[in-house]
Amino acid sequence: MAAILGISCHYHDAAATLVVDGKLVAAVHEERLSRVKNDASVPLRAAAACLRIGGIPVTALDHVAYYENPYGKLERVLLSLLRAFPASLRQFPRAIGGQLGDKLWIVDQLAEGLRVERKRVVLGDHHRSHAAASFYPSPFASAAVLTVDGVGEETSTAIWRAGPDGLICLERLGFPHSLGLFYAALTAWLGFAVNEGEYKVMGLAAFGKPRFADEMSRLLKISSDGSFELGLEYFAHTYDSALGFSPRMETLLGPRRMPGRPWALGEIDDQRYADVAASAQAALETALLALARRAREITGETALCVGGGVALNAVANRRLLAESGFSRVFVQPAAGDAGGALGAALDLAVSRGEPRMAPLVTAALGDTADPAEAASLAEALGFRARRVDDRAATAAALLEAGRVVAWVQGRFEWGPRALGQRSILALPQDASVRDRLNRVIKEREPFRPFAPAVSDEKAAQLFDGAPNDMTPFMTTVCTVRPEHAHALTAVRHVDGTARVQTVGAHGVLAPLLAEIERRALPVVLNTSLNGPGEPIVAGAVDAVAFFARHPVDALLVEDVLIERAL
Amino acid sequence: MRVGVARLARGLPWLLPGRDLHLLSSFARAEASSLLDLLAAARQTTSPERRALYVQHALDEAKHARMFSSRAAQLRAERGLVGGDERVDFEDLFARLGEVGFLAFVHRGEARGRRQFEVHRDTFARRGDARTEAMFETILGDERRHESYTGELLVELAGKRGAKKALRRAAWWEAWRLWRRAGRFVAQLLFWAVMMLAFVALTPLGLLVRAVMPAPRGWLREPPR
Repeated sequence: MAAILGISCHYHDAAATLVVDGKLVAAVHEERLSRVKNDASVPLRAAAACLRIGGIPVTALDHVAYYENPYGKLERVLLSLLRAFPASLRQFPRAIGGQLGDKLWIVDQLAEGLRVERKRVVLGDHHRSHAAASFYPSPFASAAVLTVDGVGEETSTAIWRAGPDGLICLERLGFPHSLGLFYAALTAWLGFAVNEGEYKVMGLAAFGKPRFADEMSRLLKISSDGSFELGLEYFAHTYDSALGFSPRMETLLGPRRMPGRPWALGEIDDQRYADVAASAQAALETALLALARRAREITGETALCVGGGVALNAVANRRLLAESGFSRVFVQPAAGDAGGALGAALDLAVSRGEPRMAPLVTAALGDTADPAEAASLAEALGFRARRVDDRAATAAALLEAGRVVAWVQGRFEWGPRALGQRSILALPQDASVRDRLNRVIKEREPFRPFAPAVSDEKAAQLFDGAPNDMTPFMTTVCTVRPEHAHALTAVRHVDGTARVQTVGAHGVLAPLLAEIERRALPVVLNTSLNGPGEPIVAGAVDAVAFFARHPVDALLVEDVLIERAL
Repeated sequence: MRVGVARLARGLPWLLPGRDLHLLSSFARAEASSLLDLLAAARQTTSPERRALYVQHALDEAKHARMFSSRAAQLRAERGLVGGDERVDFEDLFARLGEVGFLAFVHRGEARGRRQFEVHRDTFARRGDARTEAMFETILGDERRHESYTGELLVELAGKRGAKKALRRAAWWEAWRLWRRAGRFVAQLLFWAVMMLAFVALTPLGLLVRAVMPAPRGWLREPPR
């Protein structure tokens, strides 16, 4: 029996997880505590929070499992820079400096930062960590696993067989051919920030037509055996990782979109960018389907787990479930690099003979918020705060009156999605609420959709294909049934889909949905409790500060209702 | 020193092409970074009263960051430019310096910011840019309040002599931080130069790698190393 702390960091989305006796006890993104969006620094705050939640002193830790091997990564970086010689001149000092000056010393950084013996720090493998994070929390006894991201040490894509004997890598594709970097380059070309704007490309794609299929086939060549290659002359990730695409991509697709320019989808220029986004999304989906079919063919499994940053593409995941030949598909909520912290710890636990964790049923793996602290702070800032007897009834009444409610309940979520623990809630019928949320509170692009949370009992009546293994974690989309399209206007994307979260009987949103169901459909619009460029709220101070800065109508921290003074 | 430079140069930085955007963006970044440190202080302090003061201060910093970045965005739009730098620094000064040290640091920062902004406000008043002048004047009101409450809290927590000592220590800490940043900057330049030389020296190896170890294509069946 052992206590293992999993860590991922240094690239994007640093995180820590704690696995004790094979059980997942806590999982925390560093950004939630540092309040720096996509914080990549060594997650000492998150690690401390995990240990505190688990009641485990650092001296009781058996191992600290790091999610990848920095020496393997250095080798790949060096080789790829040499291969790209002399174009890599500018990138060379930056990349080698980052590796030698910081990333290579992760074992010492963790040993010193956490005050554990150096020999307790164990290095993992990037894609193996993704595979472990996607399979071990799944409900499957055995499965095919597909890991797809930008790049790990040298692998960008891998197919695994997973079962009682652990994980076996069957086939893999190496850098520089990478679906993550394909999508990242187009994200940058569309004027969005890489590692942050990929969701925006996915949302934008629904507004376009995939009329650039020929151009995409030059960027991404898919073989009959399911493998793929990038047209490397259009990309720059081997010699300029900051940009990702080469001037030839602009020759092929036209000039890049300038970052920060307001979107006007009715105009020809922006419609063209939406069409490119749709074409990129279609190309990505085709490539993923080819990979999944290959995985089905060589593993013979009927269930599929998908991990790596590309697995956060909820639209593609729907097609994997519908068209790849697998009867079930699972994607855990932190499928990106943060999830590596989970995979590293689980993989080490299993390899030490610990029991496999029970299937993941909730993403509420973070810390709680103190309602008394929220109440006293709110009152000191001039807000009204009072305890309520029935928080679900209180929230339902506010929502039914057309209010927007900030909702802080239980332990915060694991992964980039708000799953009902730190959410902004509204009723889904009113499109003007959606517009208000986008414009005034979230201050984001008008094309970005909001997600519905629905009780899993009623999900099938409202959404095609729901519930399934992914819907509890919002890692897929489902089509809104036409007869309910009008009632779900604010959560229905332009293509008729919605990124549904299904809520089980014990889910934190279940009492609220039950309350709403007395008078309406058991659905709420659920979006993350954060403003533009901010991480999702974690504790009471963050919640009250959010309430003070953004025009939501009420804040409910556990049973404390905070409203603006009249 | 920075105030002296601002005073000596007066309107000059605002007249150099693109410099005004750079300054506004750097002010926005500084305010956003301060916001993170103040929220961290609010989470860590043991006093509910001081927690509220830090959060109120953080809200002001958020407002200032927004004012600076909005003005920068307006100027960018007027000039047909796009983009903007959204990096922030979070130093967790409260955890590093303790509450008294943190207050001394913030008090010094607010006083310096107030003096700097007074210079910039006057510059815009002379140039007849009433809009930017008004922006600085609004922010100055908050800066004076921040300077005043942090000074009072410092005396309350450390006493008059203790406050003076904390302010001296904060000044030393800032100087030490500046020294280390300068050292890091020089080291980076040196590293850059050494790496450039290494890159040139690696030319034959680069050609060899391309010939002997080309990038992998298609399915690889050996497991990752």
